[in-house]
Amino acid sequence: MKRIFAIVLVLLLVFSTAACAKTAGPAKGKESDWEIVVVPKDATNPWFVRMDVGVKEYAKESGLNVYQKGTPEIDATLQSQLIQDLIAAKVDAICVVPVDPGSLEPVLKQARDKGIIVIAHEGAPLTNVDYDIEAFSNDQYGAFIMDNLAESMGEEGLYTTMVAHVTNASHNEWADGGVKRQQEKYPNMTLLEAEPRVESEDNGDIAYQTAKELFKKYPDLKGIMGTSSYDAPGVARAIQELGLEGKVFTSGTGMPADNAELLKAGAVKALTLWDPALAGKAMAALAVKMLRGEEIKDPVDLGVEGYTNLKFKEGSSTVLEGEGWIVINAENVDSFGF
Amino acid sequence: MEQNILKVTDIKKSFAGVQALKGVSLEINAGEIHCLAGENGSGKSTLIKVISGVYTPDAGQIVFGEKTYNKITPIESIRNGVQVIYQDFSIFPNLTVMENLAFNQELANKRKLVNRRRMRQIAEEAIGRIHFDVDLDAKVGSLSVASKQLVAICRALMFDAKLIIMDEPTTALTRKEVNALFKIILELKDQGIATLFVSHKLNEVFEISERFTILRNGERVITGATSELNNKKFAYYMTGREFEDGSFEPKDISKEPILEAQGLGLDGYFDDVSFRLHRGEILGITGLLGSGRTELALSLFGMRQVDSGTITIEGKQVRLKSPEIAMNHGIGYVPEDRLTEGLFLPRSIGKNIIVSELDSLSSRLGVINRTDKKKEIHRWVKELSIATPNPDNACSTLSGGNQQRVVLAKWLARDLKILILNGPTMGVDIGSKHDIHQLLKRLAEQGLGIIIISDDIPEILANCSKILIMRNGKINAMLSPEEADEQIIFQRMA
Amino acid sequence: MTKFVKNLTQRNETYIFIVIVVLSLMIQFRSGQFFTSNNIVDQLSALIVPGLFALGAFMVIVSGGVDVSCPALASLSMYATTRILVDINYQGGIFLPIIMSLFFGAILGAINGVLIASFNLPPLIVTLGTSSVFKGIMQGVLGSVQIPVIPRGMSSFGAASLFIAKNPQTGLTSRMPVAFMALVIVLIIVYFFLQRTMYGRGLYAVGGNEISAHRAGFNVWMIKFLLYVGVGMISSLAGLIRVCMMTQAHPTNMLGMEMMVIAGVVLGGTAITGGAGSLTGCMLGTILIVAVQNSLILLGIPTFWQGLFLGLLILVGMGVSALQVTRATKVKGPMIKGAQS
Ligand SMILES: Nc1ncnc2c1ncn2[C@@H]1O[C@H](COP(=O)(O)OP(=O)(O)OP(=O)(O)O)[C@@H](O)[C@H]1O
Ligand SMILES: [Mg+2]
Repeated sequence: MKRIFAIVLVLLLVFSTAACAKTAGPAKGKESDWEIVVVPKDATNPWFVRMDVGVKEYAKESGLNVYQKGTPEIDATLQSQLIQDLIAAKVDAICVVPVDPGSLEPVLKQARDKGIIVIAHEGAPLTNVDYDIEAFSNDQYGAFIMDNLAESMGEEGLYTTMVAHVTNASHNEWADGGVKRQQEKYPNMTLLEAEPRVESEDNGDIAYQTAKELFKKYPDLKGIMGTSSYDAPGVARAIQELGLEGKVFTSGTGMPADNAELLKAGAVKALTLWDPALAGKAMAALAVKMLRGEEIKDPVDLGVEGYTNLKFKEGSSTVLEGEGWIVINAENVDSFGF
Repeated sequence: MEQNILKVTDIKKSFAGVQALKGVSLEINAGEIHCLAGENGSGKSTLIKVISGVYTPDAGQIVFGEKTYNKITPIESIRNGVQVIYQDFSIFPNLTVMENLAFNQELANKRKLVNRRRMRQIAEEAIGRIHFDVDLDAKVGSLSVASKQLVAICRALMFDAKLIIMDEPTTALTRKEVNALFKIILELKDQGIATLFVSHKLNEVFEISERFTILRNGERVITGATSELNNKKFAYYMTGREFEDGSFEPKDISKEPILEAQGLGLDGYFDDVSFRLHRGEILGITGLLGSGRTELALSLFGMRQVDSGTITIEGKQVRLKSPEIAMNHGIGYVPEDRLTEGLFLPRSIGKNIIVSELDSLSSRLGVINRTDKKKEIHRWVKELSIATPNPDNACSTLSGGNQQRVVLAKWLARDLKILILNGPTMGVDIGSKHDIHQLLKRLAEQGLGIIIISDDIPEILANCSKILIMRNGKINAMLSPEEADEQIIFQRMA
Repeated sequence: MTKFVKNLTQRNETYIFIVIVVLSLMIQFRSGQFFTSNNIVDQLSALIVPGLFALGAFMVIVSGGVDVSCPALASLSMYATTRILVDINYQGGIFLPIIMSLFFGAILGAINGVLIASFNLPPLIVTLGTSSVFKGIMQGVLGSVQIPVIPRGMSSFGAASLFIAKNPQTGLTSRMPVAFMALVIVLIIVYFFLQRTMYGRGLYAVGGNEISAHRAGFNVWMIKFLLYVGVGMISSLAGLIRVCMMTQAHPTNMLGMEMMVIAGVVLGGTAITGGAGSLTGCMLGTILIVAVQNSLILLGIPTFWQGLFLGLLILVGMGVSALQVTRATKVKGPMIKGAQS
């Protein structure tokens, strides 16, 4: 009896692995068997909590097995371990927001070698991906932040840029885009040559301390262009404390709910943003499109707001750019619901 | 009838695999000087730790006057007037002399706050008792071994003690310091304070104690008056064996010296030291603490580098720049302080034995042959009768004397030409001492050149074929055992 | 007098102090901004949180252990406190939040304490473990996210200032947070415990020789247990202060601080092997680390080189003081002439 049971079991196993083998590779298998995982930089940053909202919404709308899984801290090593685990678990598609693109390349290569679809977001320099979705062209977004900053600064004065890490791909592209825009459009503004780019390490306290130092060392400094969602709030705190309100300004990315008080108090005039929920949805939608074997052709319509007209970035065959930016200010901050 | 202040009955204590005490009873009378003797590992230290509350006995009772305990905490023991000076002194090297001296009393008085003035007073009184001159604000770790022990002794003395227990108190002391200590023990006796002390040195036992208790294998063999005891009986009670003391007559000494020292000098320690050592010879070096004997030994093993003079091994002049180089020349060194210099206490006994032999046991690729390793370990555990149920146990589970044997085994396991031993039987009981001496003689007969550095003069006389006496860094005399006796050597040392 | 000087040359603190002075002069020289009233206030206010962590780390290291769980413990405790208070729409002052976080800190610290004191497990392993557990509870069980708005009582405590320093030249103002008093008070309490109570001396004794401490009559279990409870409370307080001062609760904001904190404590001459070290040294070491971390821009170190610079500074600082101290305390062996008495 036992033996028969064992034989049946073995047969079942063989059968099921055979079945699996058949579904391996993109554009095949039953849709309900697909497993699509979104890997953000970490699990607690409100930005990615918001992304999760979009991912969950997409899962519900499509009825597919799509979910988000993050590491407890923002840490490149942890993230690459997580992706390794996902490879081992034989998921069908990985959508990732890389912490440090460079260090992620080897694992992503492994994933693609195993036939897993890899979609990135905020990871333009990655080569081992099928596609990278940007909410917008980084250049244009940076320019947009700069417009914001310039407006508050009265289009004149000394400024510098702040990124989470100087290794962070998109933050630096935004900053570059901002600087380019300033050179083209705001001749009365100048970039602080001695410290053209400082780090906040994605930590509000460090953004605050760094801003204080900058204002002390460079009394002429009139603006800080922030990029990470921790930058502007941290800088704003420093501005308030140093008694520089109305004299120096900051701008950057930020979540409405987190910054409602700052915006209303006037410490920051306006923040720019794209909706991470939509970005998460877009990644998942693109992955599904690929799994279904559809052709990806410029312009791509993912059926997600702001991502209906994706275009390849100039000179790139992997980076797709949308038009998903928004501005939040004291007036509209309460209307977002996140 | 005399009143006993402490009575322990039928104490049993076992550690994983070892029954260290198998029902020992002991009575200490007020003001008596009682010697506790026994071979290494016979359970002396364990008994002391039971009395002081460090170990909880498996069975038996501890009685102080009216009060009977089945187990006792260190604090209770102290409150009952027991003070212990442990083999390792139990001091805090990172704290000042003052704090080391005052802590026990402050804790026993349940003080919660620190009062430096009061602590200083306690400390001053403590060192005053034995006229010990020391900076109370110095860190104890920076003191010499002898001073550290004096701190431990002072700490025990200043206490309101009825019984002071000393575990091998004299091992690290010079003769002069021992005399000072004995004077204090007698003073204490006058004040009605009893002393229980552990010693391996026969002459000390006879000199100071009134009664004695001997343990063997965790059992009490006898308790009696010292006046009824003699050398032979003492040795017999301890070991159950009888010994003949002989002297060493080397059989075939090589013609050429295996080691020759010419005018060696080390600034501040010794100067112009020359001697020769032949195969088959045992050379004894003796002298007071501070006479330079230890530094000389260290220089011969490359731990210190001489400033002047030459060392020649088998006719070739060598420069011993490091212990490694010395080892490559076939020199081995058994240090004086086995605890800090010789052993990795938390590692297994086996590992400790073969640590310096690994080179010769490993194949060319550096792979260690497991069976050879096992065989070697067992051979040495047997040869030196190291008392352990299992050589895989940590070295720290061994009694003091057995640890000393492990150090010895470690060096003997190597293929040596010259073996230098500094205090080879310090803290070792007569039985094992005898065994170790026999072993050294046998090794010399097999062609090894041996140097023994020791202040145990009978040991030097009984084992060496040549005796070198150092005084203030210079060789004061070079004698053969026939022309020397204890008296002569003492004179030349001082 | 000469004894006093000699004493100074044998102390690690002296060298750290000199390093701090040299560094401040360097910063002053490069930026002209170090010795300004508002910068000094900035440095002190930046010292609060690392300073509190350092006090905890210091006591643990003195006892012969090491605690890497402090930031995780602080994060969990501050997060739980803030979450609960936000959820019940707490409207009161700072008193209740402080009590709550001290309570959470004590409980979490007690977990460390029991594991370390009762089971004699190595503190590093235990706290590495509990550190993950604390993070796990915060992120898994409590599902931590940033809390953007904290109870008014907490934010007004964070924003309250003792005084405001104004730099007459630049017109910049910096406020000295009331929270700085927390550091001062904890420092005084720790000093009192370490120097004036038998409990505190017991910590040194345990760090010097645990077996001897037991034999001398110290209650070693209690000493270790209370130590970790106390350190849990101090860390928790640090966490709460961080939240109040930022007026937002970032769950991951403190994680990873432990290494710099421990580096500061060791830099100040605390023996990593336990038993030795002074509070002065501990604070000086921490000041050095905090001052450097917050002066890299004033110094004009390019962003790319800041990590390297900080690491090198720690190595050099530690090397210099270790070298000086060994040189100064080296004792000559017994001389022949004055042979032993
Ligand atoms: N902590 C321990 N764990 C295991 N075994 C132990 C421990 N302490 C002592 N023993 C064993 O108990 C026995 C008695 O040891 P003890 O230290 O009491 O001997 P001793 O008489 O003091 O010897 P010595 O003269 O060498 O100091 C020895 O066999 C020793 O190995
Ligand atoms: Mg013993």
